Amino acid sequence: MSQYQVEKIGDLSENYANGVEFGLENDPFSRARKKGSFRWIIKHLFYKSNTWLILNWFIFMVISNIAFPGLLAALRDTINFIIDNAANFTDPLILRDFIYLVLIILAWGLVRPIFGMVGNFSRELLAQRMERDGRHEFYLSLLGKSQNFHDQQKVGEIMARTADDVRMLNYMVSPALALIGEAIAELIIPIFAILIDPKYPSQLAIIPSIFIIFLVCYVQKYFKRLGPVTRDLRTNFGEMNSVLNETLSGIEVVKGLTLEDYETKKYLSKSSAYRNALIKQGKIEAKYLPILIMSIVIVVGLGHGVLINLGYISSPVPFGIAEIIAYISLLVSLRRPTFISLWTFQIIRYAQSAAERLLEMMNEEAEILDTSKGKSYEIIGRVTFDNVSFTYPKSKNPVLKNLNFEVSPGQTVAIVGTTGSGKTTATKLISRLYDVSKGDILIDGRPLREYTLESLRHQIAYIEQDVFLYATTIFENISFGRVSSIEEVEIAAKDAQAYDFIMKYPDRFQTKIGEGEDSVQLSGGERQRIAIARAFISDPKILILDDSTSAIDSATEDKIQRAMKKVAEGRTTFIITHRLSQIRWADLILVFKRGEIIAKGNHHELLKTCDEYRKIFLKRFDIPIEVLVKEGI
Amino acid sequence: MVWFGLEDEDYDRKYGDRELIKRILPYFKPYKKKLVLVISCLVCSALLGSMIPLVGNLLLTEGSNETLLITFLVGLFLLTGLSYLLNYIQWSASSSIVGNLILNLQKDAHNAVINQDMTFFDKYPVGKLLSRINSDTTNFADMAQIITESSSSLLIVILIFIPLFIFNWKLALIVLGSFPLVLITALSFRKAARKRSLEGQKALSIVNAFVNESMSGIQVMKTFRQEKKMYNQFNEVNAQSFRVNFRRALLLNYIFPTLTLIQGLVVAGIIYFAGILPSGSLNLYLFIQSIWLLFFPLFSISAFWPQFQSGLSASERLFSLIDAERQVNQTKENICTIQNGSIDIENLTFAYKEGTNVFDNFNLHVTPGESVAIVGHTGAGKSSLAKILGRLYEFQGGTIKMDSIDIRDFELNCLRSQIGFIPQIPFLWADSLENNVKYGKLDATKEEVMDALELAGGADWVDDLPKGLETDVGERGKVLSMGQKQLVAFARILLKNPNIFILDEATASVDPFTETRIQEALEQTLKGRTSIIIAHRLWTVRKVDRIIVLDHGKIVEEGSHDELMQKGGKYSELYNTYFKHQSLEYIEEIGKIQTMVN
Repeated sequence: MSQYQVEKIGDLSENYANGVEFGLENDPFSRARKKGSFRWIIKHLFYKSNTWLILNWFIFMVISNIAFPGLLAALRDTINFIIDNAANFTDPLILRDFIYLVLIILAWGLVRPIFGMVGNFSRELLAQRMERDGRHEFYLSLLGKSQNFHDQQKVGEIMARTADDVRMLNYMVSPALALIGEAIAELIIPIFAILIDPKYPSQLAIIPSIFIIFLVCYVQKYFKRLGPVTRDLRTNFGEMNSVLNETLSGIEVVKGLTLEDYETKKYLSKSSAYRNALIKQGKIEAKYLPILIMSIVIVVGLGHGVLINLGYISSPVPFGIAEIIAYISLLVSLRRPTFISLWTFQIIRYAQSAAERLLEMMNEEAEILDTSKGKSYEIIGRVTFDNVSFTYPKSKNPVLKNLNFEVSPGQTVAIVGTTGSGKTTATKLISRLYDVSKGDILIDGRPLREYTLESLRHQIAYIEQDVFLYATTIFENISFGRVSSIEEVEIAAKDAQAYDFIMKYPDRFQTKIGEGEDSVQLSGGERQRIAIARAFISDPKILILDDSTSAIDSATEDKIQRAMKKVAEGRTTFIITHRLSQIRWADLILVFKRGEIIAKGNHHELLKTCDEYRKIFLKRFDIPIEVLVKEGI
Repeated sequence: MVWFGLEDEDYDRKYGDRELIKRILPYFKPYKKKLVLVISCLVCSALLGSMIPLVGNLLLTEGSNETLLITFLVGLFLLTGLSYLLNYIQWSASSSIVGNLILNLQKDAHNAVINQDMTFFDKYPVGKLLSRINSDTTNFADMAQIITESSSSLLIVILIFIPLFIFNWKLALIVLGSFPLVLITALSFRKAARKRSLEGQKALSIVNAFVNESMSGIQVMKTFRQEKKMYNQFNEVNAQSFRVNFRRALLLNYIFPTLTLIQGLVVAGIIYFAGILPSGSLNLYLFIQSIWLLFFPLFSISAFWPQFQSGLSASERLFSLIDAERQVNQTKENICTIQNGSIDIENLTFAYKEGTNVFDNFNLHVTPGESVAIVGHTGAGKSSLAKILGRLYEFQGGTIKMDSIDIRDFELNCLRSQIGFIPQIPFLWADSLENNVKYGKLDATKEEVMDALELAGGADWVDDLPKGLETDVGERGKVLSMGQKQLVAFARILLKNPNIFILDEATASVDPFTETRIQEALEQTLKGRTSIIIAHRLWTVRKVDRIIVLDHGKIVEEGSHDELMQKGGKYSELYNTYFKHQSLEYIEEIGKIQTMVN
């Protein structure tokens, strides 16, 4: 199965090695995606061997449906036979002929289900493929989107699309399209039967034909009318999902603040909106005219048949009881397809709305990153910010203004500042998670743009604030950056001062982290050290440590300091920190305020020149005035 | 990833069909009137539907009489008009019933989940819960719609049978003989069908959970270029869903062909006996007609059989969730007013999982207005204590009293409203800054919000945001920095103004500039309030009335900072490994030594 998928998108490993941003590049569906949901669905339906499946299903389905008029014709003949030979049924010859006719009926009766089953198999396979492949494409496109895109999205919304909207594609094939296919067959084949079979007066085909024409016209309008309300339904579902996801993610706080009722109200307002859309849709469905027309058609057809039978209308062929039975049966068989069209078109419209939502997200342009001219350079570690300004895409206010500084290779830079002053954002620019709006960032004198993304991110490691660990083993989490041996991981763990606490677990490095019975939850400090170990493994030239951890691990502050010092050795390190020891002894300190650098230098320089900086080191109760005087304040 | 498997969750149960139906029926109760309407419409439609063969029969026998012919035809026309009207009413009404059914089911599921204690949420991934509450309910409702359709079909079946019997009971018996076959076919694979449906839904919820986790950590994934790894894991999850659902679909789609088979057999059988046994040809017409009408409803039931099964399994999953046991045990539901704020913990025993006790016969007494700092190594139980006091987790043994009343006597929400709890990592909603602060007090005014922010370390940073207080802070507050989020959490509590304060390292990661301000604010708010602070700041331990040192769930030392430093015990060890790093003296000394060494 997985071979099939890799083959679909082109050889991924090749693209990946060339530094192509992971995601959808020129996959088979890229053109179809731009052309709208209808085209996209068609492209998927007929993709490679899917065409085979459709053909297969179609052929078997048609045969299975031909069986029905065939059955009726045989029935009709048999009934005539009975009527003609009612007196002679004791005659063994007659009996034999009769049984023969009955066997024909039986044969037709068997063709239907057997061919039907084979057709079903193909149909179901197609339906499941639609879902699997649609989801695959969607997820791949998500992976390829920029960080900015993900910042704008709600995870609950993405989940709704990946799981549920994609599922609609499945339902669209089975049962919807399948039933529609059958319905069309059931509508058309009787008419053909009437026209072809010489025993039926052709005029009988008129009334059913009119009905079918009407049905086709009506369904188009109906489809359009369903559009907005099905769109609403999917949107509401997505919102419902988002709200619930948020509540459950923050459940601890919800409980602490006793906000259960409030959250419940929020959720219920979304689900009420969903319900309202459902009811609205129901009303549209309820008005479905073809139901009415079909009943009328049956009555009129019946009348027509009766009139011929009683001689009021002339007909070139004899039209007796048997013929009427067969004809009425044909008419009545129109009921099923009519009811089906009511139900199934709604599903199809629903699925189309779902597809629209998927395409909407997939087609959102990846914001960033022109990597066409990049080359892979080895980084030494000199970092220069040259008049850098930055505004988030789709935002108006600049978050960073005119940043200017230079860092020599191997230096440790402490970045301090008031909350929200742009420290984290500035560091995100270094690894090109975002592009600068103005100015330039240079590494070893070269602008970032000249590096391939791959080489950049391979040589720059980022340890974030809220360390996100995956629900897998500690070993996997540490070697996340690279394929590594157990020795390498152990050394990294030791350097990161994580070895001791890992060894305390019975499963040691194979201990699983996360939710679930056999997993453990790590403390904030432990998570940070795992992240530091991760950084050791990937051995970057430039390290960015966003050290604003929430729960500082009291027992191991010593260890953490040591780990951070060790990991900063020999590489250019940016530390966004509040730890005074890190600040005090950094080679260079950058003080941020409201997106600008208001002071830079080492500790002594800043004590002399920067008021804000001095405040930090002043307002401490345990420094005697003498010490301060000695420092030269 | 760990949770690929299709095993049940711990709270999953098997429900018998009868039990399921018993649980489902009450949901229809509020809509009795509409239901009656729907059923009567269905009955009438069925009656009308069954008339067609009868009238047809009459037409053929009496057709020579012109006036009768015309009367019948006109009558039939009227009947079809009536049938349409009935259909409209029935469909609208049943849509409304179904829509409300979903809403009520979601309400119950949501309610059940949100009132669970934290052990529940530690155990079950958010994605899977989401699947149950949102996707399974809609699945179930689809089925409910189908039920109304099918019941009308069933009614038609029954009604047609009566005239059939009257006219020729021998042939009617033959038709009846086919029914057991139908029933057996439908029921025989029920268990397998249900199992496969359940698996299908599990597979989908796994997809949900996977997407949730991978999208939440997308930044790390990108930074470490791990997209390929995620992609491979995704393929596994997706392929599993494919396999499982394909199997389900195959099984559930056997019904229709089987019924068609039976139909063919029945028709052949009837014709055969019609030939053998003497009977009027006109009645034969009636029979054949009726057979089509009879089998049509059965066909429609079978076409929707897969939906029906997934609806039932969806309901099974829903009721499992709703019935999941709650850990938190209440003794009473009293209104809680904590005037003084004394806390008495006696012989507390608590473990997250069986066998590893966090607390074992733990005792602590806090007098009203006292501020207590709790320090200790990780795993000492500090955060647990905070969460137990807020009844987020249930403790196994001992008592906790506030104002000398057992906290289990207090109504949960009431108790929590008296406690101000700031967790380690602040959680913000995708809402405006103002609303996020107002989560502390929903009816606060803008001025009160600003005052709270001002008190919580200063509010000038609000002006730097694009829309000030109105700024949407994004999912989990991602627009704000870590420090800003802390301030918001703080402001919330200040708005709430509770008598008991529990801080779990609230100020641990704010920049030094703002930290001093928060400390000032804290100092103000601590006055006269009972506070328990899980401390990591040197400032905190210096300021509180009492310090408690926890080690593996036991108090090992108690006293003020100076007292404990003099003792030279556990506390001073802690101080020397950790708190001293915040002492500027120490920083200077160590740094000097290190530069000298280098």
